[in-house]
Amino acid sequence: MNQEQAALRTRTLLWVWTIFVIVVVYLPVVCSALASLTKSRYFLFPIRKWSFDWWDKTMASIEVSTLVKTSLMLAGSVTVLATLIGFFGALAFARYNWKGRSLFQKVVLLPIFFPQPVLGLALLLWFNALGLPLSWHTAVIAHLVWIAPVVTLVIAIQVYGFDPVVEEAAFDLGASRLQVMKEVTLPMLWPGIWSGMLFAFLLSWGNFPLSLYTSGADSTVPKWLFTKMIAGYTPMVPTLGTMSTLGAALVLSIGGVAVILARRRSN
Amino acid sequence: MSETALMGESRQKLLLDLVGVRKTFDGFNAVERIDLSVMEGEFFTIVGPSGSGKTTLLRMLAGMDQPSDGAIYLRGESLNDMPANKRPTCLVFQSLALFPHMTVGQNIEFALKMRKIAPAARKARALELMRVVRLPETYYSKNVMKCSGGEKQRVALARAFAYDPEILLFDEPLSALDYKLRKTLEKELKDLHRETGKTFIYITHSLEEAMVMSDRIGVMRDGRLVQVGTPEEIYTKPSDKFVSEFMGEVNIVQVRPDGAGRYRSEDLAGSFTVNAPPSTDGYVVIRPEFLRFLASPSDADNHLTGRVHNEYSLGSRVQYQVRVGERMFLVEQPRRQSFGGGDVTIGWDAADAIFVAE
Repeated sequence: MNQEQAALRTRTLLWVWTIFVIVVVYLPVVCSALASLTKSRYFLFPIRKWSFDWWDKTMASIEVSTLVKTSLMLAGSVTVLATLIGFFGALAFARYNWKGRSLFQKVVLLPIFFPQPVLGLALLLWFNALGLPLSWHTAVIAHLVWIAPVVTLVIAIQVYGFDPVVEEAAFDLGASRLQVMKEVTLPMLWPGIWSGMLFAFLLSWGNFPLSLYTSGADSTVPKWLFTKMIAGYTPMVPTLGTMSTLGAALVLSIGGVAVILARRRSN
Repeated sequence: MSETALMGESRQKLLLDLVGVRKTFDGFNAVERIDLSVMEGEFFTIVGPSGSGKTTLLRMLAGMDQPSDGAIYLRGESLNDMPANKRPTCLVFQSLALFPHMTVGQNIEFALKMRKIAPAARKARALELMRVVRLPETYYSKNVMKCSGGEKQRVALARAFAYDPEILLFDEPLSALDYKLRKTLEKELKDLHRETGKTFIYITHSLEEAMVMSDRIGVMRDGRLVQVGTPEEIYTKPSDKFVSEFMGEVNIVQVRPDGAGRYRSEDLAGSFTVNAPPSTDGYVVIRPEFLRFLASPSDADNHLTGRVHNEYSLGSRVQYQVRVGERMFLVEQPRRQSFGGGDVTIGWDAADAIFVAE
């Protein structure tokens, strides 16, 4: 009897806690979604008149489509490059024993601890000194300075759990070095590479301080949202924010479904 | 002995020849000048304590480490510059090193896939090998990480057979299994050796395991092969104290000739009859099963007097610890006996003891 009561209590507490967390995390998102559904030009609660006008306007806006395109290209390039750098970096970080390894492990972490506004300013000074014209291309480099180490760490965690003996086994079974990489190393590190890519994309997509300094005249989604908040608020701000959240949710659920389907097929 | 006889003279062809093989890691000699010949179709086991260099030796045979010195010949041709993926050897790792992201079938077919063999032919061969290693056909598409310890062993074995190596190398693959399963797999491995006719080189730290399976055994210590011989030779004529101790629990008495045809032990303060070459210092090795309780001291060539300290049941036998002076002796009997608290006399015949020179 007592045990049942204890189990009930545990279950109730778990539910209360879960609901609390969900409310705290999602309330701001819901607020911004509500703010986007107003007919009014200003940010006023409670909302008097509901409409999808601002959604239509946002979808139709050439300005918004340009900056979404810029943000996507920026995040896409950063994802590809950071994953490439991070993959080999992670092998150097966690897989191979070499002379400068422990120094490398520390040096690679430093940029992560560097405050991003300062890092952005420093990079801007460098780009000027080198005479590079500022655009989203220079922002790619700036993002990489911060994101490549993060991706390296994410993939390195997977590499730590990887037993190099399986590579030897594959080699012993007649595989060439290239085949070992393709058949064993890459597939086994795939989950880590995936999460690294996801991190790279999301960190680049949402990055404001580095883009502010280094993308020059090109505007990205976070940069635009910020400037609009400071001067010239329109409900397009919460609309674009909500769209972004929904977009991410969509991408994640498609990924989740794909993983479930792939697993079902392999079993 | 009988194994060698069974194989017949025609099979006794030299397959593998190691000449002065040495391996140095940062100035430390892991393997020191090993000379060894392995015959075609032989089950050869290298046994030694951890750190004796046996894994390093095996890795050199597989091509994963290169000898610092010396050469390995396969049918007279040097293997030194041949990488692991080109050698006709295949290693079954201690951790098995199965590919966790593949099914049982994909694991077994790996070597065939690397050779670009068509999927249908691969599957047929994999199913055939699964029969050989006694894995049910339904396991073909099973996730390999969901297999039990014994099943994983079989997958690793089938995967190695699929490579069709001339020599299969084993790095203590059974050490992680429980006793009963290990015993079963030891026998199966020996059966597979007979059925396939391949050459097996097996390493283990358990001489018991080596005894069950091997045609010949090489005992390794500190990077050297101290003795090579059939299981019977190793058991009955250990070349030194180390090998005899490695055989399991034994009683060892250090002796010196007393000049009157008998041998004297300092720490037991007695002299014994020993079958040994004259005037050689050495050790008398007496297995617990050859020590017995005596009704009268004259019932055996040698005797000692002590007290029963403790007794252990070994299932089929009973082992007694007998304290003689400062020393403990192990005596094994088929049945339990009861002793009062008083002195007992234990003894052995000179023919049952083994003498190893110092």
